[in-house]
Amino acid sequence: MRIVVVGAGLSGLFAAILSADLGARVTLVAEGRGSLALSHGGIEIWGKASPSRALPKLQANHPYAKIGLPALRAALGEFQALVEDWGGLRYAGNLSRNLSLLTAAGELRRMGLAPPAASNFDQLKLKPFTIGAVQGLLDYFPALIEQKASSLGLKVQGVIDLPVLDAPAKRALSAVDLARMFDQKPWRTELLRTWKPPLSGVSRLLLPAFLGFKDFNAIREEFLEELGCTVFEVALPSSSVPGLRLERVLRSRALDLGVEVIDGVQAKGRIDGPSRGKRVAGLALSSAGGQRQLNADIIILASGGFLHGGLEALQEHAVREPIFQLPLDFPQDRTLWTSASPFNLQPYAEIGVRVDKQLRPLDQRGRVMFENLHAIGGILAGSDRTHEGTRQGIDLSSAYKAVHAAIKPLRQTASSRRLK
Amino acid sequence: MPHQNPISNPAPLRDGLSTDLLIVGGGVNGLGVAWDASLRGLKVIVVEQADVGQGTTGRYHGLLHSGARFAVSDPQTAADCASENLILRRIAAGCIEDTGGYYLATPADPVDYADRWLAACLLNKIPAEEIPVERARRFEPSLSPRLSRAFQVNDAALDSFELARRLVAAIRRAGGLVCVHHRVSALIRDGDRITGAEIVDLRRGVKSTIGASFVVNVAGPWAQAVARLARIDLPLTYAKGTMVAMASRPVHTVLNRCKPPSDGDIIVPIGSVIVLGTTDEPVHGPTDLRIHPWEIDLLLAEAEFILPGLRQARVLRAWAGIRPLFDATSSFETGRRGTPLGHALLDHEKLSGCAGFVSIIGGNLTTFRSLSEKIVDLICSRLERTQPSLTKTTGLALEESGHYRLPSRLERMRGADSSSTSNLVCECELIDREQILLALDDPDNMDMDALRRDLRLGMGPCQAAFCALRTYGLLTDQLHTARIQKEWRIQPFLEERWKGQRPVGWGHSLRQMDLSRRLYQEFLGLRQEKPA
Repeated sequence: MRIVVVGAGLSGLFAAILSADLGARVTLVAEGRGSLALSHGGIEIWGKASPSRALPKLQANHPYAKIGLPALRAALGEFQALVEDWGGLRYAGNLSRNLSLLTAAGELRRMGLAPPAASNFDQLKLKPFTIGAVQGLLDYFPALIEQKASSLGLKVQGVIDLPVLDAPAKRALSAVDLARMFDQKPWRTELLRTWKPPLSGVSRLLLPAFLGFKDFNAIREEFLEELGCTVFEVALPSSSVPGLRLERVLRSRALDLGVEVIDGVQAKGRIDGPSRGKRVAGLALSSAGGQRQLNADIIILASGGFLHGGLEALQEHAVREPIFQLPLDFPQDRTLWTSASPFNLQPYAEIGVRVDKQLRPLDQRGRVMFENLHAIGGILAGSDRTHEGTRQGIDLSSAYKAVHAAIKPLRQTASSRRLK
Repeated sequence: MPHQNPISNPAPLRDGLSTDLLIVGGGVNGLGVAWDASLRGLKVIVVEQADVGQGTTGRYHGLLHSGARFAVSDPQTAADCASENLILRRIAAGCIEDTGGYYLATPADPVDYADRWLAACLLNKIPAEEIPVERARRFEPSLSPRLSRAFQVNDAALDSFELARRLVAAIRRAGGLVCVHHRVSALIRDGDRITGAEIVDLRRGVKSTIGASFVVNVAGPWAQAVARLARIDLPLTYAKGTMVAMASRPVHTVLNRCKPPSDGDIIVPIGSVIVLGTTDEPVHGPTDLRIHPWEIDLLLAEAEFILPGLRQARVLRAWAGIRPLFDATSSFETGRRGTPLGHALLDHEKLSGCAGFVSIIGGNLTTFRSLSEKIVDLICSRLERTQPSLTKTTGLALEESGHYRLPSRLERMRGADSSSTSNLVCECELIDREQILLALDDPDNMDMDALRRDLRLGMGPCQAAFCALRTYGLLTDQLHTARIQKEWRIQPFLEERWKGQRPVGWGHSLRQMDLSRRLYQEFLGLRQEKPA
């Protein structure tokens, strides 16, 4: 049995891993890279209130209403086990209560699961902490964080300048640069030596998230042993280290499970088989080398929303799904797609593919379009993820739901075939 | 000596001050009048309720007219444009990019117009020369292969923000005051004469009374409201023009359609973008700036005749400006496109016996200087002053704005000093830390939008997605905490950027909008501010 997953963002990677774990042969095709590098690395589930209390009350067209609380719970469990067992990333949190993380703008953002060592407000408020300042680091403003943190009632003991070794000469230093350098043991041994004097007496240190990609846990251990510092990390935008850590773990797990990953290919359309339109037989792809076809028993569409091209908004007051031409509901007047302030709910963000409880796209009359096509993640209709604080929760739980819905019946057919 | 920003006011606005001219409106006409008058030795105070160039001046397409556009319909305006074009190239060279211009006839345009138009240009001594279509296409390979004729004219691109900035600097250097975020709340009338005004500082809530020998109402679309303070009714009508900026600059020459003036007939390369202009729609008043989808569609469709395939490119944003039209007959039609660039100079002493008060309605950016000269001539004759205007021969230089435009910023970055590459705040417009700090020296720059006007912050392709946080972070380092919290806020700045993107919110623009929302709300946790 072959499953083809389209898209290498959080939902696509997670679906590929789950499918491979269940024994399927999985091919993941991706035109781009998803947006984990633009993500704080946390898992937002329902930012407005307690997820477990709010979700059962959602309207039927919300993705969570299709997915259900049990699948969400199971998905989060699988996710936590996966990233901890495979990548040593211990995500904290649960469904009943949100955590608040301090952001690079000094604001709080609520999420269900927080990446390890994150700037968790509950922990920061326990005792005073010091902010580490790194000269010339892109998108990092310790004075801003200090000021906002103080106004949130946190006790900041001070801001300490920390020198950087080998910063690039002709461009700004980024958190990604530092994370790569931290992964080199000799470099960081030397760095920690120079940081020791300024950090004497500091036991709790807030730093930008840059403590390595690979050696993250070891580096935190070294901070504790060599400097006596517990580190809290604030994710910086424009290439987020916690987001990239997560991507790295998911990709390596997928490859380890034998997922065939084909990057840089564009899914162009479906291949019809002998099912008279009831099923999709495969996918037509376009890559630098030319056209090719991929046969599939199941296709999981994780091509994302507008930002990633899974949905396209056209000047002609229309929105389209470019691979399967799935029907979409949208206001027929493009001026209604956005609202007056970016901080309001946006109608465009709720546009997407309507699905049944197995996350199979529906036609205009509410019938399943193809028995073996499932849609997950950012392409699903019914949620302004930015406004609700639901993005990663929908990504993970829809991937889980689709994979389990798709693979169970197939397994049954496969086993019944064997019986014959 | 403490470092002082060279273009801040020479003195504060104080209660009881008196001046020769009180100029209401900080658009190009108001600043032009103030500049001309201050060069003649008159004391001037400019009062602007928002920021300089915030009204019609800044909501402009960027075309320095050659005059050719009006050769057929309005020879007088055409001739004014042609002569002012040459003067501005001389005195305001730093605001002008000599792009040159083409008039292009497409199969969609009336066949006989080109010859009539060319004849009118020649008759009115407006330089226009037919060139082979192939030559135009060699210079501008994106031009349509279906053009039938091409003409070269003397158009250029004019940056109205930079022009306004230089005018402000020149006025202040000559001792005049330019007070932004101040509004005239009452005009003081003594018998049949206006003798001054009550002015509110909108940001501090302080009122002051200023005596003035003459009050000049150059408030553009707001002129009716200002005249009402003198109990004078100005019959104004309003026309809105919508413009679209593309996120790229596929041509380097101003492109005009060779047809009678109509919607969507110009394309102006300015900075790193091209601007498509404009529509012309009657509206009810100065705040009636709603942009309709048909306007955007029309501008893109018309541009397609000259630059086929343009609609595949990313649209950056759209904006609208209001042209006030003086309409003695109170009928809108007489004031429309036929003479939108003409102006009315209303001497209220002659019209209604109210001395010391004039209003100027309309005008055109290309001819702002000659209009200003005319107004100050009139005022000088009333004040029995005889100094002649000097603006024709006085340069509007501004040393410190050498880094304002993209090419000069690029030049600066290529220099030996590499600190600006590692200190970039805005990657689209190449604004570095030092430029922001310099702009902060100006006490008028009290919010992030002022930095946009000064430095083009947030005006590039990312529309502030990356620079708003960087600027805000830098400001916290530099400014007093209280100042940060009150005026320097990210939300209104992002909302303003959003407003201009909404009318073009599809395709790549919508993707950019979504990215910005994700960054500021999901990643950085910003929320809508609670109303105060």
